[in-house]
Amino acid sequence: MLDNLPVLSLIAFTPLIGALIVLLLPSARSQWLRIAAIIFTLIPLVLTVWLFVCYQPSIGGGVFTEHSTWLSIPLNKEGFKEGILSIKLGFDYHMAVDGISMPLLLLTSIISTMAVLASVHIRKRWKTYYALFLLLLTGIYGVFLARDLILFFIFFEVTLIPMFFLIGIWGYFGREKAATRFLIYNGLGSAAMLLSFLILIATLGFSSVDGANGSSLLFSGNYDVLLSNLTNPNVLANMDTEQARYFGIYLSDNMKWAAFILLLVAFGIKVPIFPFHTWMLKVHTEAPPPIVMIHSGILLKMGVYGLIRFAVFLFPEQIQSWSTVLAVLGVINILYGGILACVQREFKLVLAYSSISHMGIVLLGIASLEEVGLQGAIYQSVSHGLISALLFLIVGSLYERTNTTRLDELGGLAKTVPFMSGILLIGGLASLGLPGLSGFIGEFLSFLGLFGSMKWITAIGALGILLAAVYVLRSILNITFGSMPESFAGMKDARFIEALPMIILTALIVLLGVYPSIMTDLMQHGFTGLLEQLQTRMGG
Amino acid sequence: MSTFFAEHAWLVPVFPLAAFAILTAMGRGLKKTGAWIGTIATFVSFVMSLCIAIERVSGSAPDYSRQIDWLQIGNLRLGAGFEVTNLTALMLVIVTLVGFLVNLYSQGYMKDDERISTFFAYVALFTSSMLGLVLSDNLLTFYIFWELVGVCSFLLVGFWFQKPEAKAAAKKAFIVTRIGDLGLLIALLLLFWYMPGHALDFTTIHNVFDTQGGAISTGITTLIALLIFLGAVGKSGQFPLHVWLPDAMEGPTPISALIHAATMVAAGVFLVARTFDIFEASQAAMNTVAIIGAFTAIFAASIGLAQNDIKRILAYSTVSQLGYMMLALGVDNMPAAMFHLFTHAFFKALLFLGAGSVIHSVHTQDIREMGGLGRKMKITAWTFGIGALALSGIPPFSGFWSKDAILTAALDKQPILFVVGVVAAFFTALYMARLFFLVFVGKPREGQHAKESSSVMTIPLIVLAVLATVAGFVETPFNGWFGQWLTGDEGQHHVSGLVMVVSAAVGLLGLYIGWLMYVKGTIRRDVVTSRMPGLVHLLERKYYIDELYGILFVKPLQGIGKALEVFDDYVVDGIVRLTGYSVSALGRLNSRLQSGQVQAYALTALIGIVILLLAIAGRRFW
Repeated sequence: MLDNLPVLSLIAFTPLIGALIVLLLPSARSQWLRIAAIIFTLIPLVLTVWLFVCYQPSIGGGVFTEHSTWLSIPLNKEGFKEGILSIKLGFDYHMAVDGISMPLLLLTSIISTMAVLASVHIRKRWKTYYALFLLLLTGIYGVFLARDLILFFIFFEVTLIPMFFLIGIWGYFGREKAATRFLIYNGLGSAAMLLSFLILIATLGFSSVDGANGSSLLFSGNYDVLLSNLTNPNVLANMDTEQARYFGIYLSDNMKWAAFILLLVAFGIKVPIFPFHTWMLKVHTEAPPPIVMIHSGILLKMGVYGLIRFAVFLFPEQIQSWSTVLAVLGVINILYGGILACVQREFKLVLAYSSISHMGIVLLGIASLEEVGLQGAIYQSVSHGLISALLFLIVGSLYERTNTTRLDELGGLAKTVPFMSGILLIGGLASLGLPGLSGFIGEFLSFLGLFGSMKWITAIGALGILLAAVYVLRSILNITFGSMPESFAGMKDARFIEALPMIILTALIVLLGVYPSIMTDLMQHGFTGLLEQLQTRMGG
Repeated sequence: MSTFFAEHAWLVPVFPLAAFAILTAMGRGLKKTGAWIGTIATFVSFVMSLCIAIERVSGSAPDYSRQIDWLQIGNLRLGAGFEVTNLTALMLVIVTLVGFLVNLYSQGYMKDDERISTFFAYVALFTSSMLGLVLSDNLLTFYIFWELVGVCSFLLVGFWFQKPEAKAAAKKAFIVTRIGDLGLLIALLLLFWYMPGHALDFTTIHNVFDTQGGAISTGITTLIALLIFLGAVGKSGQFPLHVWLPDAMEGPTPISALIHAATMVAAGVFLVARTFDIFEASQAAMNTVAIIGAFTAIFAASIGLAQNDIKRILAYSTVSQLGYMMLALGVDNMPAAMFHLFTHAFFKALLFLGAGSVIHSVHTQDIREMGGLGRKMKITAWTFGIGALALSGIPPFSGFWSKDAILTAALDKQPILFVVGVVAAFFTALYMARLFFLVFVGKPREGQHAKESSSVMTIPLIVLAVLATVAGFVETPFNGWFGQWLTGDEGQHHVSGLVMVVSAAVGLLGLYIGWLMYVKGTIRRDVVTSRMPGLVHLLERKYYIDELYGILFVKPLQGIGKALEVFDDYVVDGIVRLTGYSVSALGRLNSRLQSGQVQAYALTALIGIVILLLAIAGRRFW
């Protein structure tokens, strides 16, 4: 019975419906609002889990694909040869799922649920908060599901606006500046992305349907069309002919490079890649903890996803010749973030810089262009998502009790809040890549992938795990070990509603650390198929 | 010929793991019950290990191993599995036996601690990880458990988390050993990419490096061996990564006995023994192992002479004895190394537990504040004495036979290494004599009401004392059973009367000088201090290695960190701010253009058109 439902659309749009329902509820009833928000976060969770159960790694997610033409605009056909019936610019509604997006969808649904539970500490304007929160979810799900460039872009933008308000209204002291910084940076990224997408649509998005009376031409941002046009040497975009050049359909090498670099900048800001990282420090420190869980846990991964989906698979030649550049950028991220995390006095900044360091490992995985490394990159993304969500969850709960997250003002908390301290330690150990927890698998696979081609760079990057040990232990032992300031005596440990998401996230981190096949099997199809295409393209 | 127990060897680590799970889930309320859960689980593991060992001793059972696919990516397979050989069977027995005795002892030692069930949970997790490490059939699984034992060690060193020293020691233990772990990880990556078929299991490693010489170039082999050794150096507290081990004494004393004497720190030796074929394929690596081992043996023993904390003396002694084991490996005598690991596990655990009994009774760790405890703590004194004799290498105690095997092997290869070993043996006997006489002999201190510990603590001492006495007889110059059982060949068995006499003589000499200095008083105690204060100070300060690392690594890292912080704030973010300002400045400039003058608008439009045209024209040339 469920087979005929448009599952992907349901996943993406139930939060939006939820947002509208939340808006209709009375704003004074905080409990109602909260329950509605939780319900509409849980529905996509149930659906993604159902999707996960039905998803068959061996054949991919083809059965779930939803595709229809959404909008098409006729273009001026003057100048084209005779026999052309029509030229249209088409916008497709195209949603699909494969091995690359499936883990990220699960990550999104899990972290968003944890974040909505953690929103218990939000003190004001619940209605607006939950409405924006749900709107943000629609954007994120859409990004991971959309297979049309324009649709992807729209969903990507949809995430920006709610984030801007969520940071700016419910954040800490410097929230407004942080929100502005967030918007400017990501706006620039979006501009670069849009430019790149337009180049792609105008060249590779070109397809023609031949009929009896002539052919109809269509420009669209359909990802599958782009991918198949790239592989096919007989497409105008790949032919350096008079005609193709005249109409600007020919995708020259320079053009490819331009589009590639624009994508790198667009998604590099999101990841973030050094030197585009300063905005995310502000968001990490100023946004409310549930929103940082979403931000650090999921939004940064949109950058990774974009890099793999578009930069790697659409521009294999470019990424191949720039793989060293990418690896070096990754190493810079790892060491720069790691060293800076070692000297911070504010725990949230330690976590922010550690995120930069961990995303560097993702870059190493991508730069390997090996299946192991790419899977490692996604694994590391998911794992980092869970870990940083867990750590910020605890940060939020601790701040409620201590009113500070500065390292020099904290200490000895293991005495009064042993449960939270224990979970914090597990999160820290996962973050420093302890085997048996998820962080290790992602790091190991990324290193393993890259080591085959770039031994020295990998070895230098592996220094990051040493730095991680230093900054994690330094900060966490400062919080939980040692002597405790008088004022923290009598502090209460986590309530059930706080403990529940902590336990769930910890359990998932352990599960992914002990039984990695549960996720790698999922990714198998996505990567194997695409890498084969890549191989043939590189070979031909 | 039966392999019944070997086939079920995977159960051995499962019992303590289950105990850990139960203890963690039930929380702190368990108290005494929790302690028993941990103890019983370890005992079951011990019985199981004993059955496996008996099975392997009684018949010539073949090695047993089993694998599963843990992770499969594309056509790469990473397996997980366990393997039972004579070497692993031996380690299983050592770990579970010492683990069980320490569990029992801790029932008494930790009985007043409110977090006693947390303690037993950590110990159970450690035991389980250590057994997993021992059973691993491939380097990846080995590495995973290697890190897990490290983290358990960290947790237990920092068990009394409120003490700033414990916090610092735990942090240091983790970070310093991680330097070694990094080496092991890179060795793992190298092996993965160079081994035929990406195999990481020990059997294939053995086959590749033992028989198919030349499959991997000598340079790479040496590199892999040295990186593996770096891992071993970190874990086994060898110079220059030894600094964490003495500090780790901040943990509860039973932990020092279990983790930092008998089992985990010996894992480095076990690692080299497990991958010994790689080392044998590279003479350079072997030499490094031998030199580092010999140097650590004498270096740590010399520091042990000048320490006053009972546990730190034993810690430096452990570092030194692990150096002996490395020396044995470096001179290509793996059975001797494992033999010493075997005997050392018993007598050093005994010494630590004895020290714990003393500390438990007098509440100080400074040996200058102790004295005459022998009369009040008879069992502790006697058993500690046996441990001291075994460590000092006095026949017929176990330490004599294993040290003798190492010294014989060293003399065969390189006389200088032998001399270093003999001098270190002399130091060992001397510091043990000092320790024993200051603590147990002499006048009792005023106001110290020492009394013998409860039987739950003394029984493990007695058992270990028996083992420390007799364990050496499995391999003597007259009986090469152990080495033959371990390696399957009889080749490495030598008898050297000279070595036996020399090693026994220096041991006795050390004890005698110690007796003269600290009991008889014929030699004044400050004989060295008064003549060479600089030397003594150097030893007391442990050769200033910690201070050196502070200057070499910690300060520069902090400096770079601070510099980068400024860079991040002013340069990276500065450029961003500058861009922001210039855009808004441009905006203000533009707003001034909105002056209402049509000419200005027209000019702007014109410039715009020109730019557009240029852009379109330029497009053709792309």
